[in-house]
Amino acid sequence: MSELAESGSPEKEAEATPKRPKRKQVFRLLSPVSGREGMVLGVLGAVVFFAVWEIGHHLTPADSQRFLPSPFQVISTMTTLIMEKNFLSDVGISAFRIFGSFFVACVVAIPLGILMGCFSRARALLNPVISGARYLPAASFVPLLLVWFGPTDTQKMALLFLGVIFFLVALILDNTEAVQKELIEAALTMGASRREIIIGVVGRAASPAIVDSMRNMIAVGYTYLVIAEIVAASDGIGAVMMRAGRFLKVDVIMSGILAIGVLGVLTDILFRVAAYYLFPWNRKRQG
Amino acid sequence: MSKSSTEPAIKIDGVSRHYLGGTFTAVDDVSLELDEGQVTAFVGPSGCGKTTVMRMVAGLEAPNSGEIRVYGNVVDAPGPERGMIFQAYTSFPWLTALQNVEYGMKILGVPSAERREKAERLLEEVHLTPAANKYPSELSGGMKQRVAIARTLAQNPRVLLMDEPFGALDAQVRWEMQEMMIELFEVEKKTVILVTHDIQESIYLADRIVFYTRSPGRIKQDIVLDFKKGQRFPKKEDLLLQPGYIDAERQMFAWMREEIQQVEAA
Repeated sequence: MSELAESGSPEKEAEATPKRPKRKQVFRLLSPVSGREGMVLGVLGAVVFFAVWEIGHHLTPADSQRFLPSPFQVISTMTTLIMEKNFLSDVGISAFRIFGSFFVACVVAIPLGILMGCFSRARALLNPVISGARYLPAASFVPLLLVWFGPTDTQKMALLFLGVIFFLVALILDNTEAVQKELIEAALTMGASRREIIIGVVGRAASPAIVDSMRNMIAVGYTYLVIAEIVAASDGIGAVMMRAGRFLKVDVIMSGILAIGVLGVLTDILFRVAAYYLFPWNRKRQG
Repeated sequence: MSKSSTEPAIKIDGVSRHYLGGTFTAVDDVSLELDEGQVTAFVGPSGCGKTTVMRMVAGLEAPNSGEIRVYGNVVDAPGPERGMIFQAYTSFPWLTALQNVEYGMKILGVPSAERREKAERLLEEVHLTPAANKYPSELSGGMKQRVAIARTLAQNPRVLLMDEPFGALDAQVRWEMQEMMIELFEVEKKTVILVTHDIQESIYLADRIVFYTRSPGRIKQDIVLDFKKGQRFPKKEDLLLQPGYIDAERQMFAWMREEIQQVEAA
């Protein structure tokens, strides 16, 4: 099969076809996938997932089927929640908490990460504390934050902030240090000031990687959302799910999970589209 | 400005550089005087400190002892009057070729119309006008180095420092770039230091060759290529016909072999 795959020009392969039918190797290393095929495969993956879920629902004994509702039931429950229970305002509140806290985290982490990447003294001072803090489970801050802020939005956003900030700084530090040293040296020999180099060269060169780090870390932020909204919360997706859990309304819980998933996918797309238009110079060239 | 006409453009005076807390001597007591407009090649085996000497002239590294003066001023930091071209591609990926060439002038506060005009002229000098609005990711290695050369010339340096500028290019592109440099030396009249381990390249481009010994880096030989009679050859093959060329090349291969054998014996 490998001889076929590597046998020179396409014409030769075509000539060889009458004798032996050409077999396309599906999992060939480093072989590219076209945009169209990629989309088809993505949809296929989603269809398989929902199909397995649906089959699982039908294989469940009838009396416990309500613990594993079908995808269609979940979607219809979600529609009801949106139309009658004002679910979208809960989704909006959750989105506000995520984006608000993540924005603050970026405002802190981006300058800090870049400065630590540029100045080894700043790095030596801060890195031990910051990389150590990554090992603290954010959930363990819940009681402390409740004492400090009460059952407020601030408390929930502080938790989301703590969940991502240390990782975000560490990643941005890495992104900054990955900037090619010669770019900085070239700028120095052109007479650039330190300020110009930090913002205009290092920050600029690292920016696509930083946006990528942000995209990955906001996903981690989503994983803390339910923890933040489970305790002492009356609104938000997590609170809705928690209430539903008390009444064993699995379809509502699953609607919540689905809503978080959809929100997450949209966020990811938002970041990718933004990166595409912000960094036209960094677009991957396709063969 | 030079203090007097006899003052050398670059004066390297008893310069040493150590690493690893003083246990490794990369450059040991090097002294050199380079004249205005002279193209000097630093040649030697890998690890002979030739790049370190150049980086100290650039101000990117400081000597542990000794002093470097460029046009009379002691070097203590990098500056735009000493332009440097690196072996690695250093065009800023977020700027187009034209914007890259404008970058240095922008930092120095050159007005935008003047900047644009000069950048376009320099891109023409390095034969890159058709690619002016492309990003570096769309350019070949040779084209990226052309951008780097134009960008460095744009800051109007008196000294041009080239650190194995064509080391990453394939043989044909390297040859094209060498011939282009000969054109540029005629137009731009800079004092040039070229670090290279390509013996033929050094003879083709340089007026003078400083050959370094290996660890510690010292000057082994310092020769002016008299056989060229001050000429620069737009076509590389014309150099090969010059009486004396073969002798120079043979001599340098012999020096290189001596250095390599000494290391192997040690």
